[in-house]
Amino acid sequence: MDAYLIAIAIITAIYVLMALGLNLQYGLTGLVNFGVVGFFCVGAYTTAILSQKGVPQYITFPLAALLAMAFAWPLGLVSIRLREDYFAIVSLGFSEVVRLVATSEGWLTQGVQGIPGIPKMFGTFSGTTQALAVLGLLVVFNLVAIAAMLRIVRSPFGRMIEAIRDNEEAVKALGKDPAGFKIQVLVLGSALTGLAGAAYAHYIGFISPEQFIPLITFQIWMAIIMGGVGRISGALVGAIILMVFLEGSRFLRDVMPFISEVAMASVRLGVVGLALVLFTMYRPQGLMGDFTRK
Amino acid sequence: MNITRRQTLAGLASTMLLPALSGTAFAQAANFRIGALNPITGSGAAYGSGMQKMILAAAEVVNAAGGAAGKKLEVFAEDDQSQPQAAVLAAKKLIDVNKVQSILGTWASGVSLAVAPLTNDANIMLMNTSGAPALSVPPANAKGLLFRFQATNDRFGRAFAEVAKKEGFKRPVTMAFNNASGIGNADGFKKAWEAQGGKVYESIVYEPNQPSYRAELQKALAAKPDVIVMGSYLADTTIILREWFQTGETTKFIMPAWAGNPDLVKALGPEVSEGIIAVDSISNEGSEAFKAYDAAYQKAMGQSGLNNVYAAMTWDMVIVLALAMEAAGPNADVPAIAKKMFEVAGPGGKPVATFAEGKEALKSGKIDYQGASSVLDFDKFGDVTPDFSVSVAEKGKIERKYVVKLSA
Repeated sequence: MDAYLIAIAIITAIYVLMALGLNLQYGLTGLVNFGVVGFFCVGAYTTAILSQKGVPQYITFPLAALLAMAFAWPLGLVSIRLREDYFAIVSLGFSEVVRLVATSEGWLTQGVQGIPGIPKMFGTFSGTTQALAVLGLLVVFNLVAIAAMLRIVRSPFGRMIEAIRDNEEAVKALGKDPAGFKIQVLVLGSALTGLAGAAYAHYIGFISPEQFIPLITFQIWMAIIMGGVGRISGALVGAIILMVFLEGSRFLRDVMPFISEVAMASVRLGVVGLALVLFTMYRPQGLMGDFTRK
Repeated sequence: MNITRRQTLAGLASTMLLPALSGTAFAQAANFRIGALNPITGSGAAYGSGMQKMILAAAEVVNAAGGAAGKKLEVFAEDDQSQPQAAVLAAKKLIDVNKVQSILGTWASGVSLAVAPLTNDANIMLMNTSGAPALSVPPANAKGLLFRFQATNDRFGRAFAEVAKKEGFKRPVTMAFNNASGIGNADGFKKAWEAQGGKVYESIVYEPNQPSYRAELQKALAAKPDVIVMGSYLADTTIILREWFQTGETTKFIMPAWAGNPDLVKALGPEVSEGIIAVDSISNEGSEAFKAYDAAYQKAMGQSGLNNVYAAMTWDMVIVLALAMEAAGPNADVPAIAKKMFEVAGPGGKPVATFAEGKEALKSGKIDYQGASSVLDFDKFGDVTPDFSVSVAEKGKIERKYVVKLSA
């Protein structure tokens, strides 16, 4: 049981990292980024490819984050001046382009065959010790990200991006240029997503393009919507709720064996969907949402 | 609700009685636990529930025959969603919470590759129906605990090459659907064909879900092939063949049977489909084992067992596992059972088709289980080499012409 709980905790921590990135982009700045999985994919492939060449992980992890940032930069330049709904479409397209490149450029990514045998994190340990070490590292990543996020919120930069979210026209009227801030936010958030991708690749040990479908993006969106948009605790709580829904339903079957696995698979998605609808109807600000704001 | 003291007492008493009532709590220690990890949703959804139901049905058959090595089989079913991440969590749950001693029925290669390190760490078996060559060798198969009930993509490719040679083709071209299986088939063909001294004149890979494949087809036909070898699926093959017919070329086609099946012939009509060659690993159709499987499949799914070759494979997984347990004896650990897997399915023993028959025959000597999915002789990589059937479409019907045997 322990190892399974640790496994869930690790995946949750990876999701939290992505949710924090998206929270910075959408929750604080109002950037509708539908391309989360694209940066996740870039991070995963960066570290996977480099690890195959024998590059140690303390180098590949930062590089994964850096490369995800490098991909975010031009995307920001091209599309950040678009209205927000157009940015959503462009970012969704971006993530699909990343996936198709990973599919087609076999010389680099081994195409649809995927990259197997990606080395584990903390490979010198084994069993529970190794799993706990991975979890510990991810918790550290998350704590650093949360600390940074809290600082950002309280800084002039934080007040500026929140102003952009609340009323971009007013910000412009005050003589500030929102575009530059938006690009910075996009790049920063993508670093977290890239890092999450790297951790994912080393944890699962096998990546292929079919794992990086837009569903991941929308799971992260579900997490922050349920948790509370714009709240750092919301990203955390939302990711945990999502995981409880997705994994908890496995145990529902042990209690209710008359539901077949086939039906359960549909019930699982249905329950998440229902939860989303109920949240938007009765608690649009999310579980950790702030009542004092709109 | 007010709870009286009497109710409390009654409640407490019944709680204490519960374990005594449910015999399973004690019997569980003697059970052999199996994890059924199948693609119930996602890209393998068409096969997954049939696969899972056949694991359950075969376990029932084994238990009805008194269990294997004195143990009953107990199945824990999970959905791998055809996705590695979901599969990893499901496998962790099966291993850590349900304490299963084997995981059966992973389908997508990505899923099998992601789950293999976990089963290796736990020293348990993983039986899969995936095609990827990487599953034969370390790191995936580091401990010899992986068993593959499906022909590898390589073997499909070799079968294609045999057929092309036999039919006397000289200028082959390949067209492959861009996924691991499609490309695996095309590459396997190329490797085998070039090993025979032949040359492949063009290799085309196409993206799925297009309304038209005319551009790719033109490129293939530009190489003036006499045969196009396809690594494809039903939907795309239908479109490609329609467009090919419109060009008026006389090229022939060799394709896997999951593309070249009666549905394709029906969709295209007799004129277009005439002469299509479809190659398939043979479910061991005439066999007694297949009849037993087919009856179970009819009962569970209401259709013929021929519709789901993977379900025949999962059926065999349970039976072979149970026979290996029986052969290894009641105190054997999983690696010892894995060693027996090669023996009970391998050649040289008395041929058997059901668990009950095998259990009986094991008392007097060696057995050779002839499965529903193939004759199941595992090579040293835990892979099977089934025979391949070659069917040709003629006058709107697709019928088996001959059988190709590969040397292992």
